[in-house]
Amino acid sequence: MATTSYVVPETGDLVRRRRLKKIGTAALYVLFGIVAIIFTLPFVLMLSSAFKTQAEIIQVPPSFFPQDPSLDSFRTVINDAPFFTWFRNSLLVACTVTIIVMFLCSLGGYIFAKFDFPGRDPIFVVLLATMMVPFPVLLIPSYLIVNKFQLINSLWALIIPSMVNAFGIFLMRQFIAGIPNDLIEAARLDGASEFRIFLRVILPMAKPPLAALGIFTFLAAWNDYLWPLIVINDIDKSTLPLALSFFNSAHAQRYDLIMAAASMAVIPIIIVFVIFQKQIVNALVIAGLK
Amino acid sequence: MVAITRTARSASKSRIRHRAPGYASRMRFVYISLVPILGLIFTFSLLPIGIVAWLSLHRYNQLSPVMPWLGLRNYEFAFQTDPFFRNALENTLKYAFVAVPVNIVLSLPIALGLNQITRFRALFRTAFFMPVVASAVAVSLLWNTIYDPQAGWLNAFLDWVGLVPRPWLGSPDTAIWAVLAAAVWQDLGYNILVFLAGLQGIPQDFYDAAKVDGAGPWQRFRGITIPLLQRTTLFVLVLTMISYLQEFTHIQVMTNGGPIHTSETLVLYTYKKGFSDFNMGYASAMSMILMGIILIITLIQMRLMRSRWEY
Repeated sequence: MATTSYVVPETGDLVRRRRLKKIGTAALYVLFGIVAIIFTLPFVLMLSSAFKTQAEIIQVPPSFFPQDPSLDSFRTVINDAPFFTWFRNSLLVACTVTIIVMFLCSLGGYIFAKFDFPGRDPIFVVLLATMMVPFPVLLIPSYLIVNKFQLINSLWALIIPSMVNAFGIFLMRQFIAGIPNDLIEAARLDGASEFRIFLRVILPMAKPPLAALGIFTFLAAWNDYLWPLIVINDIDKSTLPLALSFFNSAHAQRYDLIMAAASMAVIPIIIVFVIFQKQIVNALVIAGLK
Repeated sequence: MVAITRTARSASKSRIRHRAPGYASRMRFVYISLVPILGLIFTFSLLPIGIVAWLSLHRYNQLSPVMPWLGLRNYEFAFQTDPFFRNALENTLKYAFVAVPVNIVLSLPIALGLNQITRFRALFRTAFFMPVVASAVAVSLLWNTIYDPQAGWLNAFLDWVGLVPRPWLGSPDTAIWAVLAAAVWQDLGYNILVFLAGLQGIPQDFYDAAKVDGAGPWQRFRGITIPLLQRTTLFVLVLTMISYLQEFTHIQVMTNGGPIHTSETLVLYTYKKGFSDFNMGYASAMSMILMGIILIITLIQMRLMRSRWEY
């Protein structure tokens, strides 16, 4: 932000101020450099540990860079643990949940925004009220309900309860309410069915909040731990976070293996984040602030 | 075209109020769509609220066929008898009331600084935000290795600069704070981003006008930035508080509540009671208490912030 001050009485003062500003900016960059290192260092340490050998990992004090980098720990994780099964489970659950949430929440948002039906407003108020109750409070009843449906220890237990949520409906409704009714009416006059209008008119216009909802849902599903911990018992049905925790208990103190597994779980999502950074950042802000 | 549509519609509306053309097909669409949506919401959001409230008044064990009525005795037991509940409650409040200010005191200045610089902003933003997208379990395991008493990086570093190494997660004095540091490290990026969005929403004209009027940087900050950032701050405060009151993952993975329950939070204790001891009635009562606490703290924050900052 190169700003020039227009109301400065003396030139000497102006020069001094500019110099001060330059020093200030430089200091800010240095400060940010340090903070950025604090933020990224743990990830560097994670990778460093992952590439160490079993002998080097217990060395005191720990070496910063692996003296003899090896892929052994990665190999062990892939060969001895069903790592790709966990990865596939996570991907399957997160993608399914995301697609269904995007569909059902935008459909719900459209209906609450653009249709008049008996009981609409009270139903919407109840919907908003459910948003106020945090999930950990509902842990026990949710478990009992999923148990009643005989879904314990199945990936469906991770998918079905998350298929729609009040927050998503609310987010979509706020946006869809701003789409002009004339567009919908025009499509109706053209003879489009209601569902077709939703698919062809509403969804394409609601892309920004839809992307936000999708990213938000995917990240939450991908990283969820508490709920899988309760409904999944089988190591082969685990998603990554749960599996990492199992893996940690099974290989306590084998930091080379644990960090290799953690890296393999974290790096794909970080790569996705770096690629879609702009969209993800916008999405989280939309989802948060609206 | 649009004009004709409008007249046609209003004409039909005035004749038969609710039977505009296509009314039946519209209603069919509404009901067919609402059945799955409201069915899911009812089963997985609304019904559980009723069940948790109802269970909290009973002794309930999934394995036993009977479910004796206890009235409010679960709540009485929590507040009057159970030392572990009180401990977990205190830990939760301690944790949240430290983590929230620490988080905001760190994230707001970083956001203010990021808003000032022009180059490398995206790069710094990426660095700050990476931990947010990583899974909390992976981050907890990572910090476990950093905190390790023997082979950990933190103690190696402290030793190197001449300070005393400690068993960070193994000591009752430091365990909860060590977890808190890791959790704040992970969450900071999100609030930085929200603050940054709030700052970028303030029109530059305001600052230019103030500058023309001779306001210095500090005056501009106090007179423009602080009041116009109040909505964002309230949002961050409430959401961060709610999320720290529910802390589970970092604690469970890093210390599992130990040593000797010193880092046990309410959600972790409820989880243990419900799913290790199968004391689900009591666990439900504690869940209700947590919900009450979250509601009360949220309402107080909103009331306080509103009366202080709204003008």
